[in-house]
Amino acid sequence: MQLKNKRPIGGALASAACGLLGALPASKVHAEESQTWQVDSALLYYSEDDDRVRDVSLKAAIRRAFDEDRSLDIGLSVDTLTGASPSGAAPSDVVQTFTRPSGHGSYQIAAGAPPLDDTFRDTRIALSANWSQPLGERSRIALGVSGSSEYDYLHLGADARWERDFNQRNTTLFVGAAYGNERIDPVGGAPIPLAPMRGLDDPSSKRSTDSKHVVDGLIGLTQILSRRALLSLTYSYSMSDGYLNDPYKVLSVVDPNTGRPAAGPVGDGLGLYLYESRPDSRTKQSLYAEGRYALDRDSVRMSYRIMDDDWGVTSSTVEAAYRWNRTPYDYIEPQARYYTQSAADFYRTYLVDGAPLPQYASADYRLADLDAFTVGLKYGRRAAFGEYSVRLEYYRQTADAHDSGVGVLTRYDLIPPLTAFIVQFGYKFGF
Amino acid sequence: MTSGAPRLQLHRQRGLWRATFAAMANPCEVLCDGSDEPSARRIGELAMREAIRIERKFSRYRTDSVVHEINASDGRPVLLDDETADLIDFGETLWRLSEGAFDLTSGVLRHAWRFDARAAAPSAQLIAELLERIGWRRVSWRRPQLMLPRGMEIDLGGVGKEYAVDRVVAAIQRVTDAPVLVNFGGDLRATGPPRGQAAWQVGVESASTRGQAEQVIQLSVGALATSGDTRHCIEANGKRYGHIIDARTGWPAADAPRSVTVAADTCTQAGAYATLAMLQGRNAERLLQEEGVQFWCLR
Repeated sequence: MQLKNKRPIGGALASAACGLLGALPASKVHAEESQTWQVDSALLYYSEDDDRVRDVSLKAAIRRAFDEDRSLDIGLSVDTLTGASPSGAAPSDVVQTFTRPSGHGSYQIAAGAPPLDDTFRDTRIALSANWSQPLGERSRIALGVSGSSEYDYLHLGADARWERDFNQRNTTLFVGAAYGNERIDPVGGAPIPLAPMRGLDDPSSKRSTDSKHVVDGLIGLTQILSRRALLSLTYSYSMSDGYLNDPYKVLSVVDPNTGRPAAGPVGDGLGLYLYESRPDSRTKQSLYAEGRYALDRDSVRMSYRIMDDDWGVTSSTVEAAYRWNRTPYDYIEPQARYYTQSAADFYRTYLVDGAPLPQYASADYRLADLDAFTVGLKYGRRAAFGEYSVRLEYYRQTADAHDSGVGVLTRYDLIPPLTAFIVQFGYKFGF
Repeated sequence: MTSGAPRLQLHRQRGLWRATFAAMANPCEVLCDGSDEPSARRIGELAMREAIRIERKFSRYRTDSVVHEINASDGRPVLLDDETADLIDFGETLWRLSEGAFDLTSGVLRHAWRFDARAAAPSAQLIAELLERIGWRRVSWRRPQLMLPRGMEIDLGGVGKEYAVDRVVAAIQRVTDAPVLVNFGGDLRATGPPRGQAAWQVGVESASTRGQAEQVIQLSVGALATSGDTRHCIEANGKRYGHIIDARTGWPAADAPRSVTVAADTCTQAGAYATLAMLQGRNAERLLQEEGVQFWCLR
């Protein structure tokens, strides 16, 4: 038999098999080679509007599978952040001068402009390794270590996770714990909380390095509800203690009548800007629920997370994605996420000169009362050489200062909205 | 071919029930997920009953089989039941698609080809004699009536095992939604992934190291069938011959892969692709590539 007539035989074969078997199955065959090495890589570009933060990150998750269901996972990521981020100071109708975190220079913010610190530049490298293997007939254990480094920061961590199947594998229970230690060595030293920003080459408001510890614990359950539906619940508890401030964030102390910055330390020629002060411990609890449902061709995923901490922040995240399997080889997945949080008890947009100084205060907008939504679209395609995907996301965040300010501050949006675009290219392959 | 009452064995293995029995000269197994022991046993017994029914009905070795009735018809017409007629139709389609290389009447060539370690190529004279008794063109098939010329034989062995896998799957699906994997001597089909996992792990035997799974295939749904045998082949005239014989020449296709594994929706389709590819010899991969099916060839 020569391949003279190139007419595919698939159709004839399918109809002959249908005649023989009475019917063909509704579901198409799905088989793939099990690879020893699997690499899932992504290049992500994140860009905030108004020349704020830009992040280019390259991530790779590498898995080496061994016999008997054992595997080693290695995670690698490199991030480069550039751009400017809000310093926490309030805008004003006068030019404001700030000392750079290093203490060796200063920058000015024009009247009416939001104070952004443009010295914000960073490269982060993170590495993790995780070993996973069965433990007896129905259990699995995973142990991992992680480390990440930035020029002002070093994190080292270890984690463990155990899971067990019950109820004919319809139920999986898992528990996990993690410990992390971070050494913080900010440029110019770690500021003393609520100490004033000083002039050039005056380190008297700074100490050297500091550290924090984080302990996390989680317990969860995955339940198969039917052939199509799966529900997963996770409760987690996290305790951090140590230096929890952002060393580059300040609060403006303003005149109660004019709203302009009060005078800073004598002879420095600066306004009065105090370094933020957060409590030295934080306890968070969160509950996460995720449901997945397989339709005939497509699938739906929905999740909800509620987080509550002893700083007064309560947040909720709702997320949904619909995966439209256009063909067996490609899919389109619209995604949407909504996030809302209440402000930390000690969040202040600014402090007022002459009023008693609170014990804790931060003007970091990430601790403000804020709402954010993200809409995205992902396209993925399986090819002979791997699977690639492109994801586009639009992010919009608005915050409410709950305070229109005093004097000149009433003219400004004290927490301007933030818009960001995210583009991600993913490529997954095995060998 | 099994003697005495067939026995079903049931084991618990990695959270799955594994029911095993022997049928059609092969080890057969059914892996069930998410069942208790009594239902796993029921599924296993159902599978075994269906496999043995098919074996009894179509075995050419049994005097009470339909195939024996046809082969012993001595040139007289035989009226076939629907199931047998469907299998004959299917075999005829393969004959047409392979342009005669696959032939339900080529079973007599087993007298010439013995694929074991000491086997040598048969004589041209023997092949020529046997070819006299082969050729679907000489069979009169007007469903449901089959007339096989005297001296010829039919053999449904080329399609029977894969057909049995699909039949067993259909029988199981009538009684349960639970995902199962039915594996008859390496021809297999899964109805869905085991719970909490993405796929069944299926090993394709390596050509060089017998019994050692070289390529692991993750099958969540659908079938895999393998044609060829990594152990049985003949070297002659500096060429390697596999054990799928081209009915037109009486010789195996030259330079065929040692084995071809194909993925398809049903085991019947997967097996047919694998056989047709094998008959292409050195062009096996080309045929499968042009068909756009997933396959694994060992050379």
